[in-house]
Amino acid sequence: MTLQMLGAEILKLRRNRAILGLAFLLSVGVLLLFFGYSAIEHASNPAQYGPAGGIQPFQRAVRVLGLIFGGLTAVLIGTEAGTADLSSGVFRDLVATGRSRLALFFVRAPAAILLAWAFNAIGFLLTLGATFAFAGGDPTPSVSLILQSAAWILMSNALLVGLAVGVGSLTSSRALTLTAVIGWQTVATLTLLDATSLGSARDGLLTAAAGQLAPFNTGTGVTMATGVAIAVLLGWLLVPAALGAWRTQTRDA
Amino acid sequence: MTTNRSTIIETHGVCKRFGERPAVIDLDLAVPRGCAFGFLGHNGAGKTTLIRMLLGLTSADSGVMQIRGLPVPAHRAEVLARVGAIVEEPHFHSHLTGRENLQVVAAVRGPEARGRIDGALRRVGLADRAGDRVRTYSQGMRQRLGVARCLLADPELLILDEPMNGLDPGGILEFRTMIADLVGEGRTVFLSSHLLDEVEKTCDAAAVIDRGRLVAQGPIETLLGGGPRELQVGCDDSHAALDVLDGHPAVASARETPDGLRVILAGNDGVADINRRLVGAGIAVFRLEPVRESLEHRFLEITSRVGGSS
Repeated sequence: MTLQMLGAEILKLRRNRAILGLAFLLSVGVLLLFFGYSAIEHASNPAQYGPAGGIQPFQRAVRVLGLIFGGLTAVLIGTEAGTADLSSGVFRDLVATGRSRLALFFVRAPAAILLAWAFNAIGFLLTLGATFAFAGGDPTPSVSLILQSAAWILMSNALLVGLAVGVGSLTSSRALTLTAVIGWQTVATLTLLDATSLGSARDGLLTAAAGQLAPFNTGTGVTMATGVAIAVLLGWLLVPAALGAWRTQTRDA
Repeated sequence: MTTNRSTIIETHGVCKRFGERPAVIDLDLAVPRGCAFGFLGHNGAGKTTLIRMLLGLTSADSGVMQIRGLPVPAHRAEVLARVGAIVEEPHFHSHLTGRENLQVVAAVRGPEARGRIDGALRRVGLADRAGDRVRTYSQGMRQRLGVARCLLADPELLILDEPMNGLDPGGILEFRTMIADLVGEGRTVFLSSHLLDEVEKTCDAAAVIDRGRLVAQGPIETLLGGGPRELQVGCDDSHAALDVLDGHPAVASARETPDGLRVILAGNDGVADINRRLVGAGIAVFRLEPVRESLEHRFLEITSRVGGSS
């Protein structure tokens, strides 16, 4: 993989206005709505509604960025990176250059991660601004918590991008990948997290393992050892990547 | 397989099946360097399958292939570094501009290719539209952008699969000129097509594939010369001319046509003597013209013969 290939992959993603618009809406628009609505609530009835800023809204916003809407952005961008060459038919022309198929595959995730992180960064800066601007008299997050939260958001979204790139490269279908990954991460995961009868089997869920590494309780209802969480996350990263790489290597172009 | 420096593509015994259906059968092909080479066949004859195998887009079941003197797929990266190809039809990211699409491929090919983008766009006449999104391009412009993408490799060999598809007559003429120019620069153009007239006008040599089997290959003139020589005779009395030519050793057969006589010759000589006999018999001859067989006629003859024997 070369820097030129990475630049070209980012170019393909960042010139897609539809993807960028949706990613902006999910990463930034939702937070604007969240903080704006909270600020209006607090202004209209301070006795019932706390300030829109401070540590608790900060943690909610970080969770939104790391697991919910930020995660959707990551899946959206990862899916596009994993399927764009295949669905447009350009993959054949890229293979015909003689470049290794694995090189073509392994440039997709870094490019998508960098773009997803750019949206994460905007969303996180917005969160920080609102956290301090609307804190009122409430406590604000420490530098350590801010840094840990930023790192956790980046890690969580990188994992989701990797998952989407792997599944996208495996299926080559944008619709199928979005349905499968978003369906799994929302409906299926939330249902399984609530199924307490499953016990420690729920440790295998990506959301549960990612939540375990968060700097605060993300409310997944599942706790596990840090080592187990890391192993689970590595599995979610490596298995889809291996499947995507295998399919990229073996498919007829 | 030994390396032959006069050929740029060589295949021996190449086979490919899709399930039970054979797509390419025991194919031996030799494409000479520095010419426009037509690869003819009906739709589904196996043309694109062979191209895809040559480019490593799909694997061959058996046989050996060489491009630029090196075996593929073993030396695929080295070989394809100087090969440009359009398979079936050129595909692009429609949300990117023409230039950006070339940048994407140049990044995959390497730093030298990036420096060729402007020249390639000028070469195919797209410099003025390079900043427009590809979704606004016509079919002809996409074909030309596909050629520009091939040129990023500074190719020794261009493999163009049905490049004239969807082009209007003006576009076809431009494409034909472009191919001639590319060959003039010493490049080889391997042109797969079912448009026989275009291959005849564009190519120096050709191969014919039918139901996965190679049934003929060689220079166009040789391919056309494979059938019987014919002569169209225009005269004032066709009936009398038919009597005069009856039994002439140079004439295999003759028949009257609305504009004279159609004579099938027994060999390569005898036209002058036929003229002499007719004039000597008092018949006014105002036309004596060899009938040039078209590649289309020859192609149909070859492929129907194969079909009849199978």
